[in-house]
Amino acid sequence: MLPDELLSQLNTEFPCRETQLRQLAALYSTHLPSPPLLCAHGLTATGKTSVIKSYLSASEIPYAIISSRECITGRHLLERTMAACLDAREELSARKVDRRPYARTESINTLAVSLGRMMEDWDGGKFVLVFDGIDSQREAPPTLLPALARFGELIPNLSILLISTLPLSSALHKPGIPHLHFPSYTRQSLLTILNTSPPKIFPVPPSADKFPGYTPELAAEDDAWLWNRFLGAVWDSLSKNTGRDLVSYKNTSLRLWREFVRPVVDGTFGTRDFSRLMVNRRHLFQLEDSVLDRIISTPDTTATATAAGKDVLPATPAAAKKAAALGAQHDLPYYTTYLLIAAYLSSYNPSRTDVTYFMKHSDKRKNRRHHASTKLSAKKSRKIPRHLLTPSPFPLDRLLAVFRSLLDGPVPQVADVCTQIATLTSMRLLVRTGQGAAGDMLDTGMRWRVNFGWEYVRRLGRSVGVEVGEYLVGGVDV
Amino acid sequence: MSETEHQKCYIYAPPLPEERASKRQRTSKSNPQKHLPERLQTYRKIWSHQEEKIQATLEEADRVTQEKIVNFVSVASQPEPEHRQVSAIPTGLVIAGPSIASHGPFFERLGRRIRDDTNSAYFVLTSGESPNLKTLLKNLIKKATSRVDDDDDDDLGRPSTSSKNGPKLLDFDLGHLQEWQSRNRVQSIVVTIQDSEAFDASILIEIVDLFYSWLDRLPFVLLFGIATSSESFEDRLSGKSLRYLEGQKFDVTQSSEIIEKLFSATVASTDIPLRIGPNLSRRILERQRDHVQNVQDFSNGLKYAYMSHFYANHTSIFLDENVSFEHLSSDMFEAVRILPSFRRWVEGMLEEGQTQEVRQLLQSDQFLFENIIHLVKSGHETLSALSIASTVFTNVRESLQMSPDVPLSSIWTRAASGEMIGSPLLRETMLLIKKIPSDKLVQLLTSMEDLDTASFTIDINAYRHELADLVKRNVNSTPLRSQHDVRNDSLRTTVVAQKVLLSKHKAALSEQDKAYSELVARFHDELDDYFTSTFINPRGLILSEILIYDLKSPHTEVFQPRPRFAIERALASPHDYLGCECCGADLGENGEVSLSGTQPSTAILYQMYLESGALINVSDLWSAFRAIAGDEEEESESKTMALFQRSLAELRYLGLVKPSKKKTDHIAKTMWKGL
Ligand SMILES: Nc1ncnc2c1ncn2[C@@H]1O[C@H](COP(=O)(O)OP(=O)(O)O)[C@@H](O)[C@H]1O
Ligand SMILES: [Mg+2]
Repeated sequence: MLPDELLSQLNTEFPCRETQLRQLAALYSTHLPSPPLLCAHGLTATGKTSVIKSYLSASEIPYAIISSRECITGRHLLERTMAACLDAREELSARKVDRRPYARTESINTLAVSLGRMMEDWDGGKFVLVFDGIDSQREAPPTLLPALARFGELIPNLSILLISTLPLSSALHKPGIPHLHFPSYTRQSLLTILNTSPPKIFPVPPSADKFPGYTPELAAEDDAWLWNRFLGAVWDSLSKNTGRDLVSYKNTSLRLWREFVRPVVDGTFGTRDFSRLMVNRRHLFQLEDSVLDRIISTPDTTATATAAGKDVLPATPAAAKKAAALGAQHDLPYYTTYLLIAAYLSSYNPSRTDVTYFMKHSDKRKNRRHHASTKLSAKKSRKIPRHLLTPSPFPLDRLLAVFRSLLDGPVPQVADVCTQIATLTSMRLLVRTGQGAAGDMLDTGMRWRVNFGWEYVRRLGRSVGVEVGEYLVGGVDV
Repeated sequence: MSETEHQKCYIYAPPLPEERASKRQRTSKSNPQKHLPERLQTYRKIWSHQEEKIQATLEEADRVTQEKIVNFVSVASQPEPEHRQVSAIPTGLVIAGPSIASHGPFFERLGRRIRDDTNSAYFVLTSGESPNLKTLLKNLIKKATSRVDDDDDDDLGRPSTSSKNGPKLLDFDLGHLQEWQSRNRVQSIVVTIQDSEAFDASILIEIVDLFYSWLDRLPFVLLFGIATSSESFEDRLSGKSLRYLEGQKFDVTQSSEIIEKLFSATVASTDIPLRIGPNLSRRILERQRDHVQNVQDFSNGLKYAYMSHFYANHTSIFLDENVSFEHLSSDMFEAVRILPSFRRWVEGMLEEGQTQEVRQLLQSDQFLFENIIHLVKSGHETLSALSIASTVFTNVRESLQMSPDVPLSSIWTRAASGEMIGSPLLRETMLLIKKIPSDKLVQLLTSMEDLDTASFTIDINAYRHELADLVKRNVNSTPLRSQHDVRNDSLRTTVVAQKVLLSKHKAALSEQDKAYSELVARFHDELDDYFTSTFINPRGLILSEILIYDLKSPHTEVFQPRPRFAIERALASPHDYLGCECCGADLGENGEVSLSGTQPSTAILYQMYLESGALINVSDLWSAFRAIAGDEEEESESKTMALFQRSLAELRYLGLVKPSKKKTDHIAKTMWKGL
């Protein structure tokens, strides 16, 4: 394929990357020599991986791409590199390569030697070795980057291409490296890119009997028209401020799209009633839901549908969902609940106040109130409510003491209580801290901390009829 | 002594006293293990039956959730619908609740179903085997390619990229999985993170990233077991990871519900030869509610009770259906004759003057045997009837939607302890039945229809027909009411001699209402009779010791040990354990045993420790110790000091004290008694 044809084809596939493609074409072509090292950099989702890969495979230059994401250690990267090169080699020459000399690649030196040997056997052809995301390689030895940067000089016909997020110049300890920048897309570019593949308005085309005139071409035209305007609206209201990269923007738009076009599918509005649609669906653009990444994407159709009918802003679905989920949680056993409450109080109350709050003989409630009010009036002006601070660590016996004083009757000293603490720890509701955190569970020097917030403990308390706020020093004004 | 010097611990073997206390002596040389094999066999038979029920109940309880997950997995592996352009790893968040111990069995059952019903591979990873990313991957690969250690020679002709000669894949390279997939071609690879909370968030983030990167080659599906909530799970992951995941949430049945089901399938079911008594049931249930929610523990508790009964109780041999007189030794009959319930029975007979029978019971083993067989059989029937009555009663309350909601387990335990008759619960329910309107009665009868009718004597069908007739003839739109229904009373206010008289008057009942009232009254009486006859006190049953196991003792020690309490108590009152005269003799003024020098030195020090504050001055402690444990003489002081130091070291070893930096010469108290 001629370079021009190739370029124009890639340009349609990846709009707005003309400069980068042109540069790639200039640097890597079948006949001209290529630079020994190139560093491509740009923020996430700027098309680095896909553009470079597509270019190399279209230009028929032999290449191999090693993704650092898939390499668990530095050694792993070396092994995978070697294997990938051999695979590429084999594929190109269509004959088996004797792999025996390459059995182990323990170090970067071995890799250099092996690659050199491999390139020697190769009859003079060039080879591009791409390291994708090399800056985020796990457990990378410090010499990795500088060494890779010199491979191209050491081994004839080998070109190294490093892809990273930020420019690598200083990490490579090597001056004068050519860099290829992939700038983040502008609004206009993003619109252009996403416009190439508009989603459908009608998941199932309207029946041909009812609308005989509505041909697939017409539908496609409508899709593109509405999608384009919709994208603009999403950008201006949501993505401009958060999730500006191509993938986030696309995800956000796709998440909103079905909800957005629902009235059109219902037949309430026509396909080109953009402004009325905007007014009707404006709540979609006012909520944060669609920009948040979530695992569970429950398109709560009924709720939004009724909301749309009345055309009022619904209570934020995020909050509603949260409330629903909280209600549906599993119950904890009775004492476990108390243990958590006790842990919370131990974390948030200073230990010197324990006597006031938990002495068995004193009337708890009265004492508490009294204490709380004096505290408040005295230091009101410069106090942050305790529950907004970070939890402080406490020893186990304090937790047990508070636990026992919260409960009315006696609790037998059974091992089950300790089991529960262990369970809560593996659920990460309680966390071990301090110097003993990694050591022996039974070490009495061990300190603990709670790993949940005020809302959670308040709900726990209410499930067993304890108002946790009453026990919290300083009280809680909610 | 020299031998034990460097040992951390040794078994203390006190010299045996010449003669054991007389009351402990065994009088006969009978074999304590008589008929043990038969008893064990009976136990195995009965327990295996119970175990089947437990398994079936568990499977049934999970069925709906598991089906949903299986569906999710099989849909997830299908090609994506056209409009969904967002690519992500299909992810199931399985909210399995805080009963961590039952997660393992749950995911195991789930795995079986997923493998059976879909063309998927299923691997479970736990936090214990995944301390870091590398180990996690190694484990995953090992599980997938099972057994193949990479040095093992490959099966013949298997296409392999890691040929013996070329570069090998490292053992945490997902390339292994890819190779495996190229051979097995499963539709999806389901990886379950069983206890997601216990994993380091960073590891979770890494595997999500890694799996996503491999998603174009390996069809991963992730399942996360979650003990808390999906929100807190999402909070732990970064936004980037969340973007790579997409899926659904699955709620597993609450374990309290499962326990309830298990209870009715096992303890409260009808056809079991050995009953767990109300005290033990209550204990097991309470433990589940208060401390652990754990299906496994529940069934272990039951199993242990069964074992205890058959291992330790000779008379349990009579629970064997095929027990025959010839095979039994006379010891068995002696054992039965000393049972309290047997004695009560015999005494009762004596009072009634049935001396002849009593003589035979006491003298003839054969006669006793026949009686036992008969009594065991009738005892089973009575107990089954009690269980059925509990079920009926629960059912009635449920269908009348009475509050509070009392579960079967609680009704059964009350019934089994003989507390049902005359209880407010029963009275209140029967009252409500008296007043029941016809629409509710229809519901009630319908719900009672599918009850096990074998021992349930009331002819529900007859009532249904009769009621249907009445309702058909009812011309009003309102349901028929019984005469006890308050809505049939009207208040009439009359002014008599300047006094307001409030009087209740029965509104005139219509013909149909009268007929209906009659029907309800009959139904009520019959049901009342039924309950009265079935809710007997099982402890009054003759030979209840054979039929019911209700001992607290080994159960509590085994399932609810109290290690801390045991240590604290032993140290605080050693005389209780030593049983020697020297230590326990002198009681203090308030009845408490005071310190004495003859007690073990650690115990002395511990008791002093109990009386001191959070910081303890060691020198004060030493003088107090010397005052008790030492004697006046100078030369023995070094020995006392040695004892003191050893005791202090022991307290420290037990975690009771630790060195303190707050004050010189002080140690800090770290544990308080009774916590
Ligand atoms: N100019 C473009 N035209 C079309 N799609 C693009 C363009 N740039 C990026 N993409 C798409 O965005 C996604 C992310 O691109 P990728 O190459 O992985 O980015 P990077 O490697 O910079 O993080 C890919 O699905 C890619 O196809
Ligand atoms: Mg990339």
